[in-house]
Amino acid sequence: MVAGDIVLTGLMAVLLVGVAALLTRVENWRSYTPLAGGGAVTGDETAVINREKPAGIIRWLTTVDHKDIGLLYGVYAVIAFAVGGIMAMLIRLQLVTPGGAILSNNAYNSILTSHGITMLFLFGTPIIAAFANYFIPLLIGADDMAFPRINAIAFWLLPPAALLIWAGFFLAPVTENMIEPARTAWTMYAPLSVEQANPGVDLMLLGLHLSGVAATMGAINFIATIFTERNEEVNWANLDIFSWTILTQSALILFAFPLLGSAIVMLLLDRNLQTTFFAVEGGGPLLWQHLFWFFGHPEVYILVLPPMGLVSLILPKFSGRKLFGFKFVVYSTLAIGVLSFGVWAHHMFSTGMDPRLRASFMAVSLAIAIPSAVKTFNWITTMWNGRLRLTTPMLFCIGFVSNFIIGGVTGVFLASIPVDLILHDTYYVVGHFHYIVMGAIGFAAFAGIYYWFPIFTGRMYQRTLGKAHFWFSMIGTNITFFAMLALGYLGMPRRYATYQFDGAIAPLTQVSTFHQLATVGALILFIGQLFFVWNIVQSWLEGPKVEDGDPWNLERDGMLDREFQWFEEQLEADSPEKDPSLLADGGQEEQDEDDS
Amino acid sequence: MAEEPGLSDQYPTASPWPLFVALGLALSEIGVFVGLFPVAVFGLILFGGSIAGILTESGYAERPWPTLLGVGVVLIILAAAFTLWQVPVADIALSNVGTGPLFTRLVAVAAAGAVMIAMGGVASVMEQTAA
Repeated sequence: MVAGDIVLTGLMAVLLVGVAALLTRVENWRSYTPLAGGGAVTGDETAVINREKPAGIIRWLTTVDHKDIGLLYGVYAVIAFAVGGIMAMLIRLQLVTPGGAILSNNAYNSILTSHGITMLFLFGTPIIAAFANYFIPLLIGADDMAFPRINAIAFWLLPPAALLIWAGFFLAPVTENMIEPARTAWTMYAPLSVEQANPGVDLMLLGLHLSGVAATMGAINFIATIFTERNEEVNWANLDIFSWTILTQSALILFAFPLLGSAIVMLLLDRNLQTTFFAVEGGGPLLWQHLFWFFGHPEVYILVLPPMGLVSLILPKFSGRKLFGFKFVVYSTLAIGVLSFGVWAHHMFSTGMDPRLRASFMAVSLAIAIPSAVKTFNWITTMWNGRLRLTTPMLFCIGFVSNFIIGGVTGVFLASIPVDLILHDTYYVVGHFHYIVMGAIGFAAFAGIYYWFPIFTGRMYQRTLGKAHFWFSMIGTNITFFAMLALGYLGMPRRYATYQFDGAIAPLTQVSTFHQLATVGALILFIGQLFFVWNIVQSWLEGPKVEDGDPWNLERDGMLDREFQWFEEQLEADSPEKDPSLLADGGQEEQDEDDS
Repeated sequence: MAEEPGLSDQYPTASPWPLFVALGLALSEIGVFVGLFPVAVFGLILFGGSIAGILTESGYAERPWPTLLGVGVVLIILAAAFTLWQVPVADIALSNVGTGPLFTRLVAVAAAGAVMIAMGGVASVMEQTAA
């Protein structure tokens, strides 16, 4: 133990000295000037290089530019999506046979837990932050985020968060299974999560806590940016729909994530310091569920509102019509934001809670379908009689609406107590929320990536591959998750590593068939994502350069937003012999320098 | 020291501090919660130092040292308050470091605070005598 401490002390000392040395090398903190002095550089002015950013890896490690941070978020999220996706494939392959095909029960539980947390916290939230970071300042005409450095801190908390969440997988082989991956499922219900002695659970909780801190910092930044940094031409009446959804989402984060953080700290204290927050003799295990879902249900809307904003922004562009009922889409966004805090106990209908409380939560949960339906009808009405152009981003938007309807309607059934008591903890629930998280949120993210691809890469993606990506995703999603809805009706419980149950409980043959169908769908989905990665990587490196500032021909319908106007200005400012990477960087100041 | 401009003076959109603020916070959390004494101490020092650095860089503070000193004082006060609140007085002894789940962690926080106070104090004095 003592030897271990000494080694750890040595390692930490080396790290700290290394950090100090690196900082002294790249930074001169004696040269800092107070901002009041105009921010000019003291010392030898001629030594100052008049470029926006340093070169190479240092640029990415030190950037506080919202566009760079947006790209970092994007790359991070896509990597997390790949990791979570591979975990999903392992889950689906395991369930091909009732006895489990490839994994031990422990491995299955670990992967199931990590798949959920990875997709929600390391893919979902960051991919939204990627779009918001890159495009909110451009859409509202701001120079940057209100707090660029906090923006960078928020991003840099995420890589350690991911390493901690996945820590058990890396540490199990080297610690002879002393530290294993958490097997608590993503909901971390007490008493299971308190009683699992495995330190991997602590590491996962710390990682989640860090990701929550990051999300909260980001949310504060977006609220401040949208309130204070808008261009003088942008007011509340003409603020774009994506900014509205990010503003609402940030407010939800502000109320929800600190609560998750506190609940996680309480769980950590229960695990390590013998407190009794969630023990039977203390607050009781149900307290965890209340705290978790008071965060957890708003989290659903934290994840879905900005994608709805993306669809509301992109879908009209390819319908040749302005968003139908813009005001009501904004109102329904705000309504969902408020109502989302009043529905959490619908996750707990079967816990034996007070039936009168249950009824009120059912009422609010059913009520939230109204603003959601307002949005859905508005999207459909926007397309009605429009001049539809089925580009890849548009296909993904239509796919979003279609999947959202199935995911939403199945949710309405679950909101009803008697139905929920039958379907609770079955694959019906899994199918329902995957229609939303993959079929809707994932699809909107793809729509955003394709729609803005010309802006953040300066190049065009390959259209055929994009469409193949859409069709494989659409067919794969619907086969996989529709099969899950059917499995739920057959009574298949969720989270099980195997399903060799007695034929008297459920028809095993049919259950196996639907599991196999779901796996086939997942394979189709997986192949689609290979097209996506190939398309993005190859097009970013070799795709044809975009020379027109309006690659989607939006000007014709008077729908060229501020971000494409900014892009056009960048293109005009850049002459071909310049460094093409400037396209994505802004590089405004360098242009000014060179022009003068 | 030659007055060469640092990274964040040369480039308006670059700052070396956010990465280390994040790393410091992550190490502090791991150290304190998992109960790894050295990681807690060094993590907190990195966190406090980076806060001092980033506040100075962005112009909220003129010099980093008072901030470092201040963070150190806050940590010591927090550790002392928790100790008095949660640890029986009889158990508060240096020989008890390493035993009991809470006390060792609080000592780690206090140790980090003490190091920061020392660093901030010495650097302040050195800077003023050099000037």
